[in-house]
Amino acid sequence: METSEATEAPTYDYEPVAEARGVAVHYGGIKAVDGVSLGLRPGNISGILGPNGSGKTTLLGALTRMVQLTRGSVWCQGQNYSHVKSDRVITLGISRTFQSVRLLPERTVWDNIILSTDVVFKREGDKVEGLVKEAIARTGLEGLEKARPDELSYGMQRRVEIARAIAVQPRLLFLDEPTAGMSRKERSDISALMRNLRSEGLTQLIVEHDVGMMVETCDYLYAMNFGSLIAEGTPQDVVRNAAVQEAYLGKHGRHDA
Amino acid sequence: MMGWIDQNEFLIGSTLTVFLLAISIQIPLRLGVISFASIGYYAIGGYGTAILMTQYDVSTWTSVVVASVAAAAVAMLLGLIISRLNGLYLAMATVSFSLLLSAVAVNGGSVTGGAVGLFGIIGDITIWHTAGIAVVIIILVSFTERGKLSRRIDATREDSQLASAMGINVTAYRRLSFPVSGLIGGLAGGLAVNLKTAINPESVNFTLVVLALTIIIIGGQASWIGALAGSLFFVWLPEILVFVGEWEEVVYGTLVVFAAVLVPGGVVGVFNDWRHRRSVARERPKVALLEAAAGESDAELTQSRSGKDG
Repeated sequence: METSEATEAPTYDYEPVAEARGVAVHYGGIKAVDGVSLGLRPGNISGILGPNGSGKTTLLGALTRMVQLTRGSVWCQGQNYSHVKSDRVITLGISRTFQSVRLLPERTVWDNIILSTDVVFKREGDKVEGLVKEAIARTGLEGLEKARPDELSYGMQRRVEIARAIAVQPRLLFLDEPTAGMSRKERSDISALMRNLRSEGLTQLIVEHDVGMMVETCDYLYAMNFGSLIAEGTPQDVVRNAAVQEAYLGKHGRHDA
Repeated sequence: MMGWIDQNEFLIGSTLTVFLLAISIQIPLRLGVISFASIGYYAIGGYGTAILMTQYDVSTWTSVVVASVAAAAVAMLLGLIISRLNGLYLAMATVSFSLLLSAVAVNGGSVTGGAVGLFGIIGDITIWHTAGIAVVIIILVSFTERGKLSRRIDATREDSQLASAMGINVTAYRRLSFPVSGLIGGLAGGLAVNLKTAINPESVNFTLVVLALTIIIIGGQASWIGALAGSLFFVWLPEILVFVGEWEEVVYGTLVVFAAVLVPGGVVGVFNDWRHRRSVARERPKVALLEAAAGESDAELTQSRSGKDG
């Protein structure tokens, strides 16, 4: 594996919480992600917008070490973590949710949330219960601690995942399509929750193809297509960008998203 | 009571050794590792004990312990080699391992006694010793079935990618399951050979794999209670089913299919569901309230939506 030789540190006018430097993920001849660099501004909600298959989730996989980098490097608080194992990423303060609901079906809400907390805080066991209770309160899941996932609505299941991700007190939260398949009410509730978390200082990166939700929620947007960034800036600028509109509307029939 | 135990000593002993074998399969299974290698460990434990006792005059307990530790060591090596494999490939590798050992048993000449096997293994292990060992194993296993450790084990089995995102070292847990399974499987073999006073290739072949797996399916994968329930069922069922004679296997097969389809969690799964439903029933007023609140906001949503559309 080649790493990082061609990717000198780019300069930002802030200290990024996490960075991708020239990240590429290739599967044989398929370039799922091809040379993406970005630095996440602390305290912001950043978003990666892009049609299905544009490489968003793969980039998230690279940033959480779940997929191997073909080139480039990933950094967190000035530390290169390109060779850190995926189960150590959470201890760097990076937490995530997944594209589909991934909860333990036979376990209660409480057990699902405490799962990661008691791994991360294994040396401070007495803090764990308090952190779980706090996460439950912040996500509005009080009273449902003993329920199993299949007894909850889809929107509530997603909340359990967010609770599980924030209970470990991350400095950075990745959300992979957090509102996919939700009703409008559930979507705006989740969006409000994310903005609440931001006001508490949590940096977030959302991956999503729902433009409306992204404009409503994000401070800064990146747009991806065919594995590369095609635009970045304020949400308004990005959605007005010609390349982004083309990727979404497929003016020349290049894309059927 | 004591009279009944004396009368049924062999069946009780069989139940206990089959239970240990089932636990040996269950431990990796609980971590998502479908391994049939336990039959191989059982063979190492059984043959190892028999060879040490009959050919080297080693004392009973030393033989059992040495053979079990040998099984654990082999299991650890096997784990290092094959733990990178997944699902079906891993299962096939472990089947090959077990069949390989049974081939070694057939072709081992005077050491393993060839197709006839080894007999006259008379040691000083009583069913009370075996029961004591089973109790110790149950206590140790039950520690892995509660609290933190059980959550991590469940996560590793259900969704290994999720587990590693949660900070759980999936590879380490899976690797560790091999020597633990090896030790218990070896112990099962060593104790069984003392109970039966003989061992031959027939008793460590694929039939045993099928038996142990069905025990776990009937009893449930999640708990030692399932392994015990399944072992009781399968060791005592033939006694009860004597009247069906040759149809015994058909009855077995049918029961297993029904169990797999109707109660995939086994006897233990049924019990856990019942317990959970009971605890939820107590909480129901609270949950109903929350659901009603959610329902109201959905109704508002529908209203506002239809308002906008119209």
